[in-house]
Amino acid sequence: MPVMETKNFGQISFEPDSELEFPSGLPGFDSRRRFVAVRFVESDPLVYLQSLEDPDLCFITVPILAVDPLYKLKVSGEDLDQLGLPHARQPRIGEDVLCLTVLSVRETGATANLLAPIVVNLRNRRAVQAVASESEYSHQFALMPQEASVCS
Amino acid sequence: MLVMSRRQGETILIGDEIEIVIAHIGRSRVKVGIRAPRQMPVVAREMKLVREENLAAAGATASDLSRIIARLHP
Repeated sequence: MPVMETKNFGQISFEPDSELEFPSGLPGFDSRRRFVAVRFVESDPLVYLQSLEDPDLCFITVPILAVDPLYKLKVSGEDLDQLGLPHARQPRIGEDVLCLTVLSVRETGATANLLAPIVVNLRNRRAVQAVASESEYSHQFALMPQEASVCS
Repeated sequence: MLVMSRRQGETILIGDEIEIVIAHIGRSRVKVGIRAPRQMPVVAREMKLVREENLAAAGATASDLSRIIARLHP
Protein backbone atom coordinates (compact mmCIF):
# COMPACT_ATOMS: atom_id res chain seq x y z
CA MET A 1 0.00 0.00 0.00
CA PRO A 2 1.49 3.39 -0.97
CA VAL A 3 2.53 5.64 1.90
CA MET A 4 2.41 9.43 1.79
CA GLU A 5 4.00 12.04 4.04
CA THR A 6 1.56 14.82 5.03
CA LYS A 7 1.84 17.97 7.07
CA ASN A 8 -1.37 17.53 9.06
CA PHE A 9 -1.55 13.78 9.55
CA GLY A 10 2.06 12.58 9.40
CA GLN A 11 2.46 9.43 7.34
CA ILE A 12 -0.71 8.02 5.84
CA SER A 13 -1.15 4.89 3.77
CA PHE A 14 -3.90 4.58 1.21
CA GLU A 15 -5.40 2.08 -1.18
CA PRO A 16 -4.17 2.90 -4.71
CA ASP A 17 -7.73 2.73 -6.03
CA SER A 18 -8.93 5.31 -3.52
CA GLU A 19 -6.92 7.96 -5.35
CA LEU A 20 -8.90 10.84 -6.89
CA GLU A 21 -7.78 12.32 -10.18
CA PHE A 22 -8.47 15.98 -10.97
CA PRO A 23 -7.65 16.10 -14.71
CA SER A 24 -7.17 19.88 -14.62
CA GLY A 25 -6.35 20.46 -10.98
CA LEU A 26 -8.28 23.04 -8.95
CA PRO A 27 -8.43 26.81 -9.58
CA GLY A 28 -5.29 28.22 -7.98
CA PHE A 29 -3.72 24.73 -7.88
CA ASP A 30 -3.81 23.80 -11.54
CA SER A 31 -0.87 21.42 -11.35
CA ARG A 32 -2.22 19.41 -8.40
CA ARG A 33 -3.99 16.45 -9.96
CA ARG A 34 -3.83 13.59 -7.44
CA PHE A 35 -5.61 13.62 -4.10
CA VAL A 36 -6.97 11.21 -1.53
CA ALA A 37 -10.03 11.77 0.63
CA VAL A 38 -9.16 11.13 4.28
CA ARG A 39 -11.74 10.66 7.01
CA PHE A 40 -11.43 10.16 10.75
CA VAL A 41 -14.14 8.99 13.10
CA GLU A 42 -13.37 11.79 15.55
CA SER A 43 -13.69 14.52 12.91
CA ASP A 44 -16.75 13.18 11.13
CA PRO A 45 -18.33 14.55 8.88
CA LEU A 46 -15.17 16.33 7.69
CA VAL A 47 -13.37 14.94 4.66
CA TYR A 48 -9.78 16.04 4.18
CA LEU A 49 -8.68 16.32 0.59
CA GLN A 50 -4.97 15.63 0.82
CA SER A 51 -2.72 16.25 -2.19
CA LEU A 52 -0.48 13.32 -3.11
CA GLU A 53 1.91 15.70 -4.80
CA ASP A 54 2.30 18.30 -2.06
CA PRO A 55 2.42 17.19 1.60
CA ASP A 56 1.47 20.73 2.68
CA LEU A 57 -1.67 20.96 0.57
CA CYS A 58 -4.84 19.76 2.24
CA PHE A 59 -8.36 21.10 1.85
CA ILE A 60 -10.92 20.66 4.58
CA THR A 61 -14.24 19.69 3.06
CA VAL A 62 -17.59 18.35 4.14
CA PRO A 63 -20.33 16.56 2.16
CA ILE A 64 -22.33 19.40 0.66
CA LEU A 65 -25.67 17.98 1.80
CA ALA A 66 -24.47 18.29 5.40
CA VAL A 67 -24.32 22.05 4.85
CA ASP A 68 -27.38 22.39 2.62
CA PRO A 69 -29.64 19.30 2.48
CA LEU A 70 -31.50 20.84 -0.49
CA TYR A 71 -28.38 21.72 -2.50
CA LYS A 72 -29.04 21.64 -6.24
CA LEU A 73 -26.00 20.47 -8.16
CA LYS A 74 -25.47 22.03 -11.59
CA VAL A 75 -22.42 20.79 -13.45
CA SER A 76 -21.42 22.38 -16.77
CA GLY A 77 -21.05 20.31 -19.93
CA GLU A 78 -17.31 20.84 -19.88
CA ASP A 79 -17.06 19.50 -16.31
CA LEU A 80 -19.33 16.53 -17.14
CA ASP A 81 -16.88 15.69 -19.95
CA GLN A 82 -13.95 15.80 -17.53
CA LEU A 83 -15.83 13.50 -15.16
CA GLY A 84 -16.79 11.13 -17.96
CA LEU A 85 -20.51 11.58 -17.24
CA PRO A 86 -23.33 11.88 -19.79
CA HIS A 87 -24.88 15.24 -20.62
CA ALA A 88 -28.41 13.85 -20.61
CA ARG A 89 -29.08 14.70 -16.97
CA GLN A 90 -27.39 16.21 -13.93
CA PRO A 91 -25.50 13.68 -11.76
CA ARG A 92 -27.21 12.59 -8.54
CA ILE A 93 -25.36 13.21 -5.31
CA GLY A 94 -24.63 9.96 -3.51
CA GLU A 95 -25.58 7.79 -6.49
CA ASP A 96 -23.42 9.03 -9.36
CA VAL A 97 -21.13 11.44 -7.58
CA LEU A 98 -19.66 12.41 -4.25
CA CYS A 99 -20.16 16.13 -3.71
CA LEU A 100 -18.00 18.04 -1.22
CA THR A 101 -17.81 21.69 -0.31
CA VAL A 102 -14.46 23.30 0.57
CA LEU A 103 -14.35 25.04 3.95
CA SER A 104 -12.37 28.16 4.82
CA VAL A 105 -11.71 29.50 8.26
CA ARG A 106 -11.76 33.25 8.70
CA GLU A 107 -11.83 35.47 11.76
CA THR A 108 -15.60 35.75 11.50
CA GLY A 109 -16.10 31.99 11.38
CA ALA A 110 -16.02 29.12 8.93
CA THR A 111 -17.49 29.41 5.45
CA ALA A 112 -18.32 26.85 2.80
CA ASN A 113 -17.77 27.38 -0.93
CA LEU A 114 -21.16 26.39 -2.34
CA LEU A 115 -20.42 28.14 -5.64
CA ALA A 116 -17.79 25.59 -6.60
CA PRO A 117 -18.36 22.12 -5.14
CA ILE A 118 -15.88 19.28 -5.55
CA VAL A 119 -17.62 16.62 -7.63
CA VAL A 120 -16.20 13.08 -7.77
CA ASN A 121 -17.49 10.46 -10.21
CA LEU A 122 -17.92 7.44 -7.93
CA ARG A 123 -17.35 5.02 -10.81
CA ASN A 124 -14.00 6.22 -12.16
CA ARG A 125 -12.85 8.48 -9.25
CA ARG A 126 -12.29 11.40 -11.57
CA ALA A 127 -12.98 14.74 -9.93
CA VAL A 128 -13.48 18.41 -10.75
CA GLN A 129 -14.17 21.55 -8.81
CA ALA A 130 -17.35 22.48 -10.63
CA VAL A 131 -17.44 26.28 -10.76
CA ALA A 132 -21.07 27.19 -11.34
CA SER A 133 -21.93 30.12 -13.53
CA GLU A 134 -25.32 31.77 -13.13
CA SER A 135 -25.49 30.36 -9.63
CA GLU A 136 -27.25 31.79 -6.62
CA TYR A 137 -24.91 29.97 -4.28
CA SER A 138 -22.23 31.85 -2.37
CA HIS A 139 -18.52 31.10 -2.43
CA GLN A 140 -18.48 32.16 1.23
CA PHE A 141 -21.58 30.63 2.77
CA ALA A 142 -21.40 31.20 6.54
CA LEU A 143 -21.57 27.87 8.38
CA MET A 144 -22.58 29.43 11.62
CA PRO A 145 -23.10 33.16 11.29
CA GLN A 146 -21.82 35.17 14.19
CA GLU A 147 -24.57 36.80 16.15
CA ALA A 148 -25.03 40.37 15.05
CA SER A 149 -23.55 42.78 17.52
CA VAL A 150 -26.11 44.81 19.37
CA CYS A 151 -26.10 48.50 18.64
CA SER A 152 -26.07 50.57 21.74
CA MET B 1 -19.72 52.27 -14.54
CA LEU B 2 -19.78 53.08 -18.23
CA VAL B 3 -22.72 51.36 -19.90
CA MET B 4 -22.76 50.99 -23.69
CA SER B 5 -25.49 49.60 -25.86
CA ARG B 6 -24.25 47.27 -28.59
CA ARG B 7 -25.78 45.01 -31.23
CA GLN B 8 -24.67 41.52 -32.14
CA GLY B 9 -21.42 41.64 -34.10
CA GLU B 10 -20.42 45.06 -32.79
CA THR B 11 -17.19 45.71 -30.97
CA ILE B 12 -15.90 47.70 -28.01
CA LEU B 13 -12.27 48.76 -27.71
CA ILE B 14 -10.51 49.21 -24.38
CA GLY B 15 -7.26 51.05 -24.90
CA ASP B 16 -5.24 50.00 -27.94
CA GLU B 17 -4.92 46.33 -27.16
CA ILE B 18 -8.24 44.98 -25.93
CA GLU B 19 -11.14 44.25 -28.21
CA ILE B 20 -14.50 42.92 -27.05
CA VAL B 21 -16.91 41.55 -29.65
CA ILE B 22 -20.56 40.82 -28.91
CA ALA B 23 -20.48 37.54 -30.82
CA HIS B 24 -23.99 36.27 -30.18
CA ILE B 25 -27.03 37.41 -28.25
CA GLY B 26 -29.31 34.63 -27.07
CA ARG B 27 -32.41 34.72 -24.92
CA SER B 28 -30.61 34.74 -21.58
CA ARG B 29 -26.94 34.56 -22.53
CA VAL B 30 -24.50 36.63 -24.46
CA LYS B 31 -21.43 35.21 -26.14
CA VAL B 32 -18.55 37.63 -25.93
CA GLY B 33 -15.30 37.38 -27.85
CA ILE B 34 -12.25 38.93 -26.20
CA ARG B 35 -9.00 39.76 -27.92
CA ALA B 36 -6.30 40.79 -25.49
CA PRO B 37 -2.51 40.48 -25.14
CA ARG B 38 -1.45 36.95 -24.24
CA GLN B 39 0.00 37.95 -20.85
CA MET B 40 -3.32 39.50 -19.76
CA PRO B 41 -5.42 36.96 -17.86
CA VAL B 42 -9.06 36.80 -18.97
CA VAL B 43 -11.32 34.76 -16.69
CA ALA B 44 -14.95 34.72 -15.63
CA ARG B 45 -15.34 36.53 -12.32
CA GLU B 46 -16.55 33.43 -10.49
CA MET B 47 -13.35 31.63 -11.48
CA LYS B 48 -11.31 34.35 -9.79
CA LEU B 49 -13.46 34.12 -6.65
CA VAL B 50 -13.00 30.36 -6.48
CA ARG B 51 -9.28 30.65 -7.04
CA GLU B 52 -8.94 33.12 -4.17
CA GLU B 53 -11.20 31.02 -1.98
CA ASN B 54 -9.09 27.92 -2.65
CA LEU B 55 -5.89 29.77 -1.78
CA ALA B 56 -7.48 30.89 1.52
CA ALA B 57 -8.88 27.41 2.23
CA ALA B 58 -5.52 25.72 1.64
CA GLY B 59 -4.06 27.78 4.47
CA ALA B 60 -6.28 26.25 7.14
CA THR B 61 -4.29 24.66 9.95
CA ALA B 62 -4.83 21.85 12.42
CA SER B 63 -6.11 24.21 15.10
CA ASP B 64 -8.69 25.57 12.65
CA LEU B 65 -9.95 22.02 12.18
CA SER B 66 -10.97 21.59 15.77
CA ARG B 67 -12.84 24.91 15.62
CA ILE B 68 -14.78 23.74 12.56
CA ILE B 69 -15.62 20.43 14.19
CA ALA B 70 -16.83 22.23 17.28
CA ARG B 71 -19.13 24.32 15.07
CA LEU B 72 -20.50 21.33 13.22
CA HIS B 73 -21.28 19.57 16.50
CA PRO B 74 -22.70 22.31 18.68
